[in-house]
Amino acid sequence: MKKLIALLLALVMVFALCACGASTETGKTEPAKTESEPAKTESEPAKTESEPAKTESEPAPAEGKVFNLYAWNEEFIGFLKAYYAVEKDGDWYLPDGVTKINFVITPSDNGAYQQKLDEALLAQADAADNDKVDLFLAEADYIQKYAESEYTQDITAIGVTDFSNMYKYTVQAASDENGVVKGVSFQCCPSALIYRRSIAKDVLGTDDPAEVQSLLDSWDKFNAVAADAKEKGYYMTASFAETYRPFSNNCTTPWVNENNELQFDDQILAWIEQTEVFCENGYTLADSGIWDQPKNDQMFADGKTMCFFGPAWYFNFCMGNAQDPEKGCIGDWAICEGPAAHFWGGTWMMAPAGTDNAEAVAEIMNLFTNNEEVCSKLVTEQAQFSNNMAVNAKYAEDPNFGSEFLGGQNPVAVFSAMTDNIKWENHTIYDQACNEDLQNNLQQYFQGLVDKETALNNYYLALQEKYPEIVTP
Amino acid sequence: MGNKLKTRKKGISYAKWGYIFILPFFITYIIFTLTPQIMTIYNSFFENYRNGLKQVGPNFVGLKNYIALFTPDKTGTIGMLKYFGNTMILWLMGAVPQIVVALLLAVFFTSYRLNIKGQQFFKTVIYMPNLIMAAAFSMLFFTIFSTVGPINQILLAKGIVEKSVNFLGIKVSVRILISLMNFLMWFGNTTILLMAGIQGIDQNMFEAAEIDGASSLQVFFRVTLPLLMPILVYTVITAMIGGLQMFDVPQVLTNGKGTPDRASMTMVMYLNNYLGTSKNFGMAGAISVILFLISAGLSFFVYGSLTKQYKK
Repeated sequence: MKKLIALLLALVMVFALCACGASTETGKTEPAKTESEPAKTESEPAKTESEPAKTESEPAPAEGKVFNLYAWNEEFIGFLKAYYAVEKDGDWYLPDGVTKINFVITPSDNGAYQQKLDEALLAQADAADNDKVDLFLAEADYIQKYAESEYTQDITAIGVTDFSNMYKYTVQAASDENGVVKGVSFQCCPSALIYRRSIAKDVLGTDDPAEVQSLLDSWDKFNAVAADAKEKGYYMTASFAETYRPFSNNCTTPWVNENNELQFDDQILAWIEQTEVFCENGYTLADSGIWDQPKNDQMFADGKTMCFFGPAWYFNFCMGNAQDPEKGCIGDWAICEGPAAHFWGGTWMMAPAGTDNAEAVAEIMNLFTNNEEVCSKLVTEQAQFSNNMAVNAKYAEDPNFGSEFLGGQNPVAVFSAMTDNIKWENHTIYDQACNEDLQNNLQQYFQGLVDKETALNNYYLALQEKYPEIVTP
Repeated sequence: MGNKLKTRKKGISYAKWGYIFILPFFITYIIFTLTPQIMTIYNSFFENYRNGLKQVGPNFVGLKNYIALFTPDKTGTIGMLKYFGNTMILWLMGAVPQIVVALLLAVFFTSYRLNIKGQQFFKTVIYMPNLIMAAAFSMLFFTIFSTVGPINQILLAKGIVEKSVNFLGIKVSVRILISLMNFLMWFGNTTILLMAGIQGIDQNMFEAAEIDGASSLQVFFRVTLPLLMPILVYTVITAMIGGLQMFDVPQVLTNGKGTPDRASMTMVMYLNNYLGTSKNFGMAGAISVILFLISAGLSFFVYGSLTKQYKK
């Protein structure tokens, strides 16, 4: 009898242990489930509607009750909340008031956003309806990776068919090799030279955009002015990587060729050469990356930096310090094309294959690209440069339209004139790693911490860790 | 009949219940430690990574991953050795002061002659840094020592430096910061362990030594230290294994880059690089296996050398 009890106890212990092991596994899926739970319970009508969706054998599954949106920051989410989604008890829903929008935000640093997104996309086929990615955002640097994969779908099939008003490069970027369009962008991102009027007056003797442009329309002129600015106690730019995009966007060869070999375009070499001089002579801040605090501090009224580079999203979303009501300098800015035409970034909305909310996906895509009213609001209320040529043309010609931040200048007119020069070519799926790691590793060289050879070698190491297939020099 | 009695007598052994009761541990160990370990070794012989969204492998490649790890790069450095060196330097810089200070504090706190009041308070305070998440602690140091952080502002305001110092760009200062953080986080823990060890020593020993006229130093080296040795060895070995696996503090402080010139990149950070974008389980597995061999080897070495002179 004693033996029996002891055996029983031992078995119970072992069983409890196994149960523990099992529960940790199911525990993983638990949070996702609970997140979706409130959507069902909070709104009464949803409760009844969600019932049929639950049975998986249903031949035509009803639209999922959770709309999963993957993003790396709040920019687009802000627009979505302003013009599309509806709020209920602190949560956001699609206009049907039933489907809850689940924002999954992962910062893009070091490829973290892509890693998170990749895991979700690879698991998409087996995921429950409420866990499926319904819409995700992608940036110019890696959009190709998704556009050319089987994890995105043809948006013309779900109801986005009119691309006539969009800028051509934004459609090319989201298409695969066969020209199948997989997504759209709500913005067009020609990148301008954003300069401080007061400093330009001191250095160049004028703050008029046309005159400033004529004084800074080539790299030779730009470099010469940098020396003048330094003499007067100013910085030309506020980050060693500030001029990276104007150069890299004009590359004539891709980062990685068809033999998987890494290659340096002349434009990249030119950037390195220029930055060497800029850092050595103190024309820029070698210690500051493009997103770092020292650069952002330069945007305050007491900043000493004349030039920044960026598209519409940059000065309205990333130059918060300049817009600070107390320490900022609203109105002391203006834009012109600068030494080299280029674009920077841009956010595309991509349609993942297997979404259970295809209708809503198409609705959102059409709303932010083809709906004149919303696109106009993007321009007037959000200071965006929309991806709708008709809307942009309307504001470009409007003499009363101007930006308070830019001292009354009409940014839409400037950007519209720049769009013809934007090309989408020489992009690879490796671009983000190539661009980000090059900047990170060369910074140490520009700061004088390591020699050039070491910095480049560290760049190769970092690339090989991320993409073993790339053959480095 | 007699025979039957005999076997029955033999059967009354409670040892097997002991085995059954420790069974849960072994089952857990096999599921959560041994299996992953064997899988890691197995995986290290395969080419298995992701190129963008495309999966490559797994293909059996033999020792290729290990050979790649020990192949010198263009500048002639062998990555694996460099990161092992970094790890050991960072560990020694933090662990040596950690154990010395912890030993001193433990002796002070347990000394009946000093009889320090408010022990509970001090114990809590020195243990406190361990309660902060390493990542948060690292973030805090990152902010304090950044080029626009408070330390630089103070130095600039006092006129000690003319231009802000890039603490996170200089090899020595980055290493000192990492070691300092590890020291601050762990010396309290070690102190409490060693105090428990000292309190476990018979008080009569100390009294007897004193009556015999031993000085405090003599008591420490001849009585406390030898009797504390088992605990001390345990402390050193656990600290070392922890040190070899150093990751969170340097990862957050240098944003995963091991700046400058990968001089603060530890072995686990290196491993983590392979688990990021490329999900390169082959290379990561090979690094793990080497890390395991090093940990095992060093543990034997430390155990052997520290216990040798006190054996018998």
